[in-house]
Amino acid sequence: MPEPTVSTASAAAPAPASDSVTVVIDGKTHQFPKGTNLLEACNEAGANVPYFCYHPGLSSPAVCRQCLVDVKGQPKPVPSCYTPVADKMEVTTASPRVLDVRRQMLEFTLLNHPIDCPICDKAGECTLQKHYFDWDAKYTRNDGIKVKKDKVVDLGKHIVLDQERCILCTRCIRTCEEVAKSPDLTMAQRGDHEVLTTAPGRRLDNPYSLNTVDVCPVGALTAKDFRFAMRAWELYATPSVCPGCATGCNVEVHASRDKVYRLVPRANPSVNKFWMCDEGRFTYKRLHQERTVVPLSGGLPVEWDRALEDAAKKLRASLDKGTGSVGVVFNAQSTNEDLYALAKLAFDHLKIDKAYLAGYDEGWHDDILVSADKNPNTAGAKGIAGGRLRSLVDLSRDLKSKAVSALLVLGEHGVLGANAAALPLGNLDGLVVAASHNGPLTEAAHVVLPLADWAECDGTFTNKLGMVQRIRAALPPPGDALPGWDILAHLAHKMGIAMDYTTAKQVFHEAREKLGFMRGADWGRPFLPVQLRFANTRG
Amino acid sequence: MADHKLPATTSPATRRVVLGMREASDLDELELPSETMPLNMGPSHPAMHGTVRMVLEVEGEKISSADIQIGYLHRCFEKESEYATYTQIFPYTDRLNYVSPMLNNVGYAMAVEKLLGIECPERAQFIRVIIGEISRITDHLTCLGAGAMELGAFTPFLYNIKFREWLWELLEELSGARLTHSYCRIGGVVADLPEGFGEKLRAVIAKGREVLVDVDKLLTRNRIFRDRMDGIGIITKEDCCAYGVTGPMARSAGLAYDVRKDHPYLVYDRFDFDVPIGSVGDNFDRFAVRVEEMYQSMRIIEQALDRIPAGPVMVNDPRVTLPPKSETYNSIEAMIAHFKLIMDGIRVPPGEVYSFTEGGNGELGFYIVSDGTGRPWKCRVRPPSFANTAILSKVLPGLFIADVVPTFGMVNMIGGECDR
Repeated sequence: MPEPTVSTASAAAPAPASDSVTVVIDGKTHQFPKGTNLLEACNEAGANVPYFCYHPGLSSPAVCRQCLVDVKGQPKPVPSCYTPVADKMEVTTASPRVLDVRRQMLEFTLLNHPIDCPICDKAGECTLQKHYFDWDAKYTRNDGIKVKKDKVVDLGKHIVLDQERCILCTRCIRTCEEVAKSPDLTMAQRGDHEVLTTAPGRRLDNPYSLNTVDVCPVGALTAKDFRFAMRAWELYATPSVCPGCATGCNVEVHASRDKVYRLVPRANPSVNKFWMCDEGRFTYKRLHQERTVVPLSGGLPVEWDRALEDAAKKLRASLDKGTGSVGVVFNAQSTNEDLYALAKLAFDHLKIDKAYLAGYDEGWHDDILVSADKNPNTAGAKGIAGGRLRSLVDLSRDLKSKAVSALLVLGEHGVLGANAAALPLGNLDGLVVAASHNGPLTEAAHVVLPLADWAECDGTFTNKLGMVQRIRAALPPPGDALPGWDILAHLAHKMGIAMDYTTAKQVFHEAREKLGFMRGADWGRPFLPVQLRFANTRG
Repeated sequence: MADHKLPATTSPATRRVVLGMREASDLDELELPSETMPLNMGPSHPAMHGTVRMVLEVEGEKISSADIQIGYLHRCFEKESEYATYTQIFPYTDRLNYVSPMLNNVGYAMAVEKLLGIECPERAQFIRVIIGEISRITDHLTCLGAGAMELGAFTPFLYNIKFREWLWELLEELSGARLTHSYCRIGGVVADLPEGFGEKLRAVIAKGREVLVDVDKLLTRNRIFRDRMDGIGIITKEDCCAYGVTGPMARSAGLAYDVRKDHPYLVYDRFDFDVPIGSVGDNFDRFAVRVEEMYQSMRIIEQALDRIPAGPVMVNDPRVTLPPKSETYNSIEAMIAHFKLIMDGIRVPPGEVYSFTEGGNGELGFYIVSDGTGRPWKCRVRPPSFANTAILSKVLPGLFIADVVPTFGMVNMIGGECDR
């Protein structure tokens, strides 16, 4: 799904004209930079050349022979993915000969392909199905017996292989080698007995293993997590951003009937290219675990109105003792809009000066995609609350010294981290927590306000490169939960403060006026999730 | 009764055979001035068929203005279509004009086929003509039967519905469903005619001719019926053009426009049939035109049954046609084709098309915009009933309240089609 990243970084400059070559594609003259792949050139010219083994993020081995085109002067059709453009090249992408050769190659590919579509997880987003329908569409001429191979091969922690379905394009092998830098897979045997398998002594357990499922053009590699969970064509795709770390990989949220089934990477050359890590893919799990669904006051379910009133009372009671006695906890998991609304309420209106930043603890990292900072919006929190943010260690100290008597928390993520006992919450007169998940913090809270999580609200995250990226609501919040900015606007109203926001977009535009790091960011166009069967984006 | 002719008429004035009954226009000087009264007819009124509301302003018995309010049967056909594959829309089209579902099936299938650039096999075209004309007869039978019943003539209604039932039994045998057939497919029809269908249809037509003669005896020279129909609700050719009125209603006003003749589609240009037209444009002309059209439809059906060729009833293209089940279960090629056609739908190239056919009530058009996916980006219907109903607000003022019943009956407004 083409969803331009909202970015403050500038795009790469186009190549100078002197380095370009002139190519004639289907009778029309085009200019391309020297060294451009002929397949990319043809498709950029609108020719629609099909392919299995080529992938824009990988090297080209030219094994599938689907991208064959006629080049003037060449006796045989050439694999365009393996050919760089040359000056004065004349290319025909859809001559009868080329179409015939491609169809014959497809027929070979289908010769031993099992009749699995009804039980195959890839069905509906399968490149083989698509190419057959688009380029072949002839009934079979073969009534021989298909070659039998292993149907369920456990390749690693997350992946199962069906060798019969494999069309031997080697995309997964190259993904492991070139993206994960971990050569885990290889081909074995020859001819129609050739199979994909793990390299001797290895398992497919690298941290980027699930990308092989995405690049697999058929249902050979399937994710254990998604296997038999949902038919792919029924899913609705919403472009968003992974909340797993500060990298901010662009993802598509695939959901149906208010349930997320998977996250898949969305191409963005300046952030994640075509990939994302396995850890990030599973961040969707917590959307459906231990969620807060109703407001609580004193541990009992109440109406929103009552909960907000109680929250306002608690905060007011402490504020009357002096603005210094109330603290606010920002969270690096929140969107810029939620953080901006909190900063506005706390700093501008209530004149609170004790602010703390919470978030998940640092974790492992590599130099491919994974960042040590496991929060998607640390940069945004720091940009919004400026130098006023102090650490949770400071909060612990302030709680012990009873300098803070009431606390307003927006987002429970990591507030009680590994050292839960370190925060003496019992010292507080008022603990108001807007939380998306139940846990020790909501149990200790006097008022709990159910908060929408990242996949349920519109907003923006700022990644570690300072790019402000848009996230979109893929499903409604569970129960009575509301987005953070909305909760804060209601709370402000109860405290007699006018903060009348009705949409996240409104908060975004106000924040963009005030904050330097958001300048140039764009909210983007309204978007309606598209069912994959009609989206024409996958396969 | 083979050479059935429309009764010759001279002028609207001589049409009115009522003696001693005052015309609505005579009332102007006679009545004392009175305040107008709003009067709701429908939607809960037997003559409004539950699907339309008329807010009449009456001066005594005379209608001074009429506000026709439609939309009571709006089912979001056009929006629903944007979320269904091209094949899944067929059941929706059945529910447009639900007294002639086959005509809608054919009209819609032809629109998509035009966009795809394919033509269905000759045998399928003949079948489409036959089932279309059967549907036209059922449509007219319903309209005339119900129209007569609303004027107190219950027997012709029962006779007509009896004939209609014979035809629907045949269509049930053909498609499996009595009313909502969904028998057409993109690229042809779902199955060939069952064995002996032609003979059964000929027999039904022969019996049906007798029914029409009986009804003719009961109605055409019936004083009460003629008094309520003659000279009432006159529309002119010019009005028809201005309002976009088509079909039997326009033909009753003398506008000889029939899509089957003027823009022949399927194999209509191979058949010998006439387009009856009226001379006055009143309710009786609309009645007479429909009666004659049924005879013409029977002529077409008989010619089609004589000449129908053997051959396939679906185009042979895996991108459009579902493969045979034996292929689907035993080869990956047909399995993929089946899967793609069912799940993603027939992929129609991007573009827009307007395709129109002669429906039961006039020009039934489909305007489809494709974005290249398996479902239409827009699927608009040009329902003949919509334009035909619109002209009522011009026709009704000046008539008596009682005249609304035959006038509305002869418009044959079908809620499902008009409101979509």
